Amino acid sequence: MKVVLENLTKVFPSRNKKVGGEVTAVNDFTFEIPDGKLIGLLGPSGCGKSTTLYMISGLQKPTSGKIYFGEDDITALSPENRGVGLVFQNYALYPHMTVKQNILFPLQNLKGEDKLSKDEMLKRAYDAAKLVQIDELMDRKPSELSGGQQQRVAIARALVKMPRVLLLDEPLSNLDARLRLQTREEIRRIQRETQITTIFVTHDQEEAMSISDMIVVMKLGVLQQIGAPQDVYDSPENLFVAKFLGTPPINVFDGEVRDGKVYIGKDAILDAPGVPDQYVFVGVRPEGFELADDGALHCELRSVEVMGRDVSIVSANPAAHTPIIRSIVDADNKVDITASEVRFNLKPHKTFIFAKETITWSLGSEGKTVYKFDKHNQKLNAIVEGRTYDMGVLLTDEEIAKLEKQAQQSLNPVAKFFVKQGKKVLAAAQTKVAPLVNFIQNHIPEKPALTGEFTYKLAMGKNSEGNTLYFAGGVSDGKLVVTDDIANAINLHAEIVDGGYNVYYLDGETKVYPEISVENGENHEKRIFL
Amino acid sequence: MAVKKNREVIMHERDIEKTSQLQIVKTVFGTFFRYLFLLIVAFVVLFPFYWMIISSLKSLPEYKLNVPTFWPQEVMWGNYAEAFTAANLGTLFKNTIIVGVVSTILSLVITILTAFVFARLEFKGKNILFAGLLATMMIPGELFTITNYEVVTRFGWMNTYTVLIVPFLVSVFYVYLLRQNFMQIPNELYLAAKVDGTSDLKYLWKVMIPLALPTIISITILKMMGAWNSYMWPRLVANDEAHRLITNGLRNAFTAASGETNFPVQMAAVALVSIPLFLVFIFFRKYIMKGVSRSGIKG
Amino acid sequence: MVDSKHKWKAWLYLSPALVLLAIFTIYPIINTIRLAFLEDYNMMAAINGKVFEFGFKNFEKVVAYRGFTTCLKNTVLLCVLTVPISTILALLIAVALNSIGPLRRFLQTIYFLPYVTNSIAIGMVFAAMFNVVGNISAEPPLIVTAGIINNFLGLFGVEPINWINVGSPYWANMTVMVVYIVWNALPFKILILLGGLQSVNKQYYDAAKVDGTSRARVLRKITIPLLSPMIAYVVITGFIGGFKEYSSIVGVFGEGMGPGDNLALNTMVGYIYQSLEGQHQGRASAAALILFAIILAVTLINLQVSKKRVHY
Repeated sequence: MKVVLENLTKVFPSRNKKVGGEVTAVNDFTFEIPDGKLIGLLGPSGCGKSTTLYMISGLQKPTSGKIYFGEDDITALSPENRGVGLVFQNYALYPHMTVKQNILFPLQNLKGEDKLSKDEMLKRAYDAAKLVQIDELMDRKPSELSGGQQQRVAIARALVKMPRVLLLDEPLSNLDARLRLQTREEIRRIQRETQITTIFVTHDQEEAMSISDMIVVMKLGVLQQIGAPQDVYDSPENLFVAKFLGTPPINVFDGEVRDGKVYIGKDAILDAPGVPDQYVFVGVRPEGFELADDGALHCELRSVEVMGRDVSIVSANPAAHTPIIRSIVDADNKVDITASEVRFNLKPHKTFIFAKETITWSLGSEGKTVYKFDKHNQKLNAIVEGRTYDMGVLLTDEEIAKLEKQAQQSLNPVAKFFVKQGKKVLAAAQTKVAPLVNFIQNHIPEKPALTGEFTYKLAMGKNSEGNTLYFAGGVSDGKLVVTDDIANAINLHAEIVDGGYNVYYLDGETKVYPEISVENGENHEKRIFL
Repeated sequence: MAVKKNREVIMHERDIEKTSQLQIVKTVFGTFFRYLFLLIVAFVVLFPFYWMIISSLKSLPEYKLNVPTFWPQEVMWGNYAEAFTAANLGTLFKNTIIVGVVSTILSLVITILTAFVFARLEFKGKNILFAGLLATMMIPGELFTITNYEVVTRFGWMNTYTVLIVPFLVSVFYVYLLRQNFMQIPNELYLAAKVDGTSDLKYLWKVMIPLALPTIISITILKMMGAWNSYMWPRLVANDEAHRLITNGLRNAFTAASGETNFPVQMAAVALVSIPLFLVFIFFRKYIMKGVSRSGIKG
Repeated sequence: MVDSKHKWKAWLYLSPALVLLAIFTIYPIINTIRLAFLEDYNMMAAINGKVFEFGFKNFEKVVAYRGFTTCLKNTVLLCVLTVPISTILALLIAVALNSIGPLRRFLQTIYFLPYVTNSIAIGMVFAAMFNVVGNISAEPPLIVTAGIINNFLGLFGVEPINWINVGSPYWANMTVMVVYIVWNALPFKILILLGGLQSVNKQYYDAAKVDGTSRARVLRKITIPLLSPMIAYVVITGFIGGFKEYSSIVGVFGEGMGPGDNLALNTMVGYIYQSLEGQHQGRASAAALILFAIILAVTLINLQVSKKRVHY
């Protein structure tokens, strides 16, 4: 059954009642899923992939747009009338029923002309069980099964109704690594045998690439790219897609197009005839590097990791976004480990350039620029003194309040205690309170920048080295703090300006404005095709 | 697969529009009947309270009208004054408040100390002792009452405040509830306090009590409500004018077979007894409901 | 941490509780059992130094007493009627409440109101609602006020019924008590069941929805089994409370425990208190032990049944 999404949009009312407004979880999706294929919906968490799946199942109603199964517009139909099978992330197997009862359950719901006799039901249940190879376990309860077996039961339960479309929500996320490999092949096999159009959601690009006929890459509610896995990998349409697909990930450099050539630093690495002069991002796949004594790109050699067939060369370049560049070359290449420099030529079909159009609220000059914390699910980057800090997702007042409440009721009375002692101490920012609590406990004797009364805003993120950073502070007393170590806090200050905050940090007497960039769902870093 | 084809045929036969209309009708009706049912239940739940209030404001002749009125023709506030004196509510309120407050405070002190010992301190036989105490919760209160009646008589406590306060001061259940709450506070905090030289009692006061405050508030309210609603024991041991408690006094004042009952005045008295409870409920709803959902014990 | 200083401190902090529990809880358990086997034990006589013989006479007297059968029958009947009715009603209310959006918290608060009442006081309100002023058993009946319940039933053409006044029939008395006790028992049950419902994973319902499961089937096959531990809990506590029923009857009928103080609705606990006040402490103790045995037995049976039926 072909599935068509037409201008599908889902808007949720904002959880932050004070600010109001809306969150667009899925923004104007249009694409067609061909009949009988296995499709992976892929994207980082919060990108709207599960919402899309739930709209296809009918459990959530789209705000606008249409869904077609074949030629039928089924947008208004409730789930039971759509003929879909849905496998939940945690399987949702009824714990009080045996495997057999679980699989029979959907069949027993059929009424009228669809009603089946007892024998037919049993036969279908056993057929489905055989298909997923659990027919030996029919009299067990879910609690007596392993995760992988539960997964199979859930698939059998979804398949037993002979759905037109099979939907799987993060089918592998609850399994351990070994089972994951095995189960994804299993899903592939089942889909091949039944020929049912199957859509599954995942945040694991490797998983999606390995078994899908087609992948749909999403980010913050916006469709990024759709196509066969290899095509998308080989020809990403924007920087996000390029970064999201592939392990090890693509290497990204700051670059420039000048006089028809692409430069990284001073090295002209590619010809770009006809491309107007501009700043760009350059993305190079790890396999896109070729060792050459006279190579165009100069890098500082860090180490060489031999992996048998391949050699992984770890090097560094000041223009790179990450501290290290990882390149994979054939093991035939001999690398002089003692050398301080390594030079590469770049393979044109493994090198992509992207327009540099990130929206940055450059707080460069005096406090005119206003940053609005008004959209959900937006990632915040602060660029201080040339280094990019990934601040993570900004938390709204309500989310913080919720976290505090969680911490207060939580399993962890220590966290509760500190929240109570509170006002001067940060509330827990992650659902896992413990690391933060440790952190606070370790630093509490000094009580540096975090004393005094303030209503805090808090975000957690990681800096480029992967260390946790806290972004905290209060506008009421004009303090915002970014720190990975409270003792050496960089004091970010904020003041309220019309409808937003003006953020700066103090360097002696001078106010220094970091650049703050906000990532959103639009494709601002579009590929420039050479 | 053959069956897949079969499924498509079925779906094509369905008139999608009709199905979706049917869905809407079903949802609307479903919602309508659910609300109807819930509102009827709400009406049934509230009606006695409504009847209590309006009856308490009617004159006796109006109350006796064969066709009932649903709003008093003439609002008789005087019924409340009359009820107050007729049932001697002043003394009853005073007694109940004295007993309620004193027993709650003493009970809290003892409960907190006991819970603290069972949660934090170590000594031989602690677990056996605690299990033994828990076992007593299974036994119906009437079993204690019989002997306690004799004990307090022998102590010469009959018709005193003491007899109303002391015997049921320790509730094993509240000790259990609070101990569970205390247990959740990590031992590291206690050890850290010990290292700093904080005394047990200071630690209890500064850390444990603030952390367990919601439970303590729940216990306080339930204990107060218990004093307000207790009937049997006060009636047995302190049934004299000077020490009678509210519930007992209320029932007493209107059972005396002295001719015709003045129902509006009786309802006014009932309202006067009920209203403080409602006020407590309005202000402490969260704590009451939380406490109750964990206990299932009334008062 | 475990030093000798701590040990004496622990006992010091425990002492108030232990002294009180020893006198008013532990000793009474032992003593009440002892009293039950002292024939015709009477407190006043005991204080004056009388010695009683050991034997089973108290139990014999309790069982042989005609009123005791009434008490037992009333208690059992009240349990058997009120526990299922209130549990089923509370379940329906909780399920309905859990499925609505607006008004949920408001309604939940209203439904909880009967819990925070004084069962004697509100019993008197119920009495007023069922009360007939006049002489309904006269020929012809002389009715001044039929009472709001009779007025309401009159709308459906039902003749006024003598619910609680002198000469009222047993079934009418029982009906009033069942209505009152159910009304009073609902809040707790709704609270517990709603709490249980809210902790059920919503995905089970989503899964059922995708499979086109009807509401009735969802209730029967998913909600009730998943809620069974909570249901077992409210049933067991309901039975325990039911066997100790007393003050709600006092609220409606007064201490006479029936229309015209005829003890027609007397219960086990009522009997215990009456014996106690009548200075038959031996008999009261025996009855209390019997009550304890019954509650224990019923609880064990309940637990046994739920072991088979409850899905954890």
